[in-house]
Amino acid sequence: MASYYKEGVLKDGTRVILRPMVKEDREKLLDFFGRLEERELSFLRNDVRDPAVIDAWVSHINYQRVYPLLAEVEGRIVGDATLHMRKVGWKRHLGNVRVVVARDFQGRGLGTLLINEIVDLAGEFGLEKLVAEIHFQAPAALAVFKKAGFSVKAVFEDLVKDPAGRSSDLVVMVCDVHGREGRA
Amino acid sequence: MRLAVISDIHSNYEALQSVLAQIDLEGLEGILNLGDLVGYNASPNECLELMQERPMWHLAGNHDLALLEPERAQHFNIIAYQALMWARQQVRSHHLDFLRTLPLTRELEGCLACHGTPTSPDAYISYHFQGKRVLSYLAKDSPFRLCFFGHTHRRALWYRDVRGKVALQPISPGKIILDPDCHYLINPGSVGQPRDGNPEAAYAVFDARESSIHFKSVPYDVDKAQNRILAAGLPPFLADRLAEGI
Repeated sequence: MASYYKEGVLKDGTRVILRPMVKEDREKLLDFFGRLEERELSFLRNDVRDPAVIDAWVSHINYQRVYPLLAEVEGRIVGDATLHMRKVGWKRHLGNVRVVVARDFQGRGLGTLLINEIVDLAGEFGLEKLVAEIHFQAPAALAVFKKAGFSVKAVFEDLVKDPAGRSSDLVVMVCDVHGREGRA
Repeated sequence: MRLAVISDIHSNYEALQSVLAQIDLEGLEGILNLGDLVGYNASPNECLELMQERPMWHLAGNHDLALLEPERAQHFNIIAYQALMWARQQVRSHHLDFLRTLPLTRELEGCLACHGTPTSPDAYISYHFQGKRVLSYLAKDSPFRLCFFGHTHRRALWYRDVRGKVALQPISPGKIILDPDCHYLINPGSVGQPRDGNPEAAYAVFDARESSIHFKSVPYDVDKAQNRILAAGLPPFLADRLAEGI
């Protein structure tokens, strides 16, 4: 169990525990990703149903490189947001954000809660801007990131493909971390 | 009066000791603390005791207020929240009484002092529009030409000239003479958790007589402060950041 956590509340009053991923989360993560539908899996970068992928994640946790923030309800993981950072180079002030929310928790404010928390953490880590790459066929994700203060900066036409081989656009959204009023 | 301006000590006892020792060496006549005595680091009681040992002018910061009213910490990010909750368990009750007495703003030597902005300890002055807003308030709706603020953990010297132009003045290493025709916002940086890339404990010296500001910093025992954080079980990032000044 992570040594620290915070409680959040969804639109319907459901209380959610927010905490960083720890190595003991292996089984819970496999359960979480195992419940995702094929279409949702097609938007992810890794084969998260492969236990070897999850094993690699939980055994190589480095919060200064990737900060994995989990949302948990009654012991079950219902959301996973990751903040990817670089210590050096021309993108060292940037962070990349990825978010996955369980189907039965979509539309309840969990995505917004996770992204808001990631934006606040980015400020704490000294990042200046956050970048999210979103498939154009994922309108719910586009809406959630927009609600959290991200705006569309670029659209790459026909850049990405779904598992069936159909081309689609990739949307790049950016959030100015310090442009939002900070809270800590 | 030559005044030491300090801010955002955040329970870093080693950094505070170094800054106070340097202030004593310089023979400064007063100390203005812009708030956030607690939070983030692991020595809240030691810092609170040290700060009450001598007369100085204090303000409340948003972490000080969250220690008294934990619901305010709900808006903190998970790392800041955890550190604040830990501090709530540690701080002795008589120190809470002291924190309850702290004002949000203060007038001193003809200057205004606040933690975040004159109207909110939570709001930031980081961007041009934020500096412009507060400088416009100073110029049009207050009798003050200078305002000290903290909260961002970064040294800053904002000015508004007679034409209304607002800009950041570079922080030069020596004493900076302030233009009598300009309005200024002055941030001394952070004692206990600097975030401008310089890990030394930051403070500033304001000379009211000659109207100058001198931004300074002193090294301190970062290893010891880090070890306290790790021993307390606080998020390790809070220890790592001290060495980098982020």
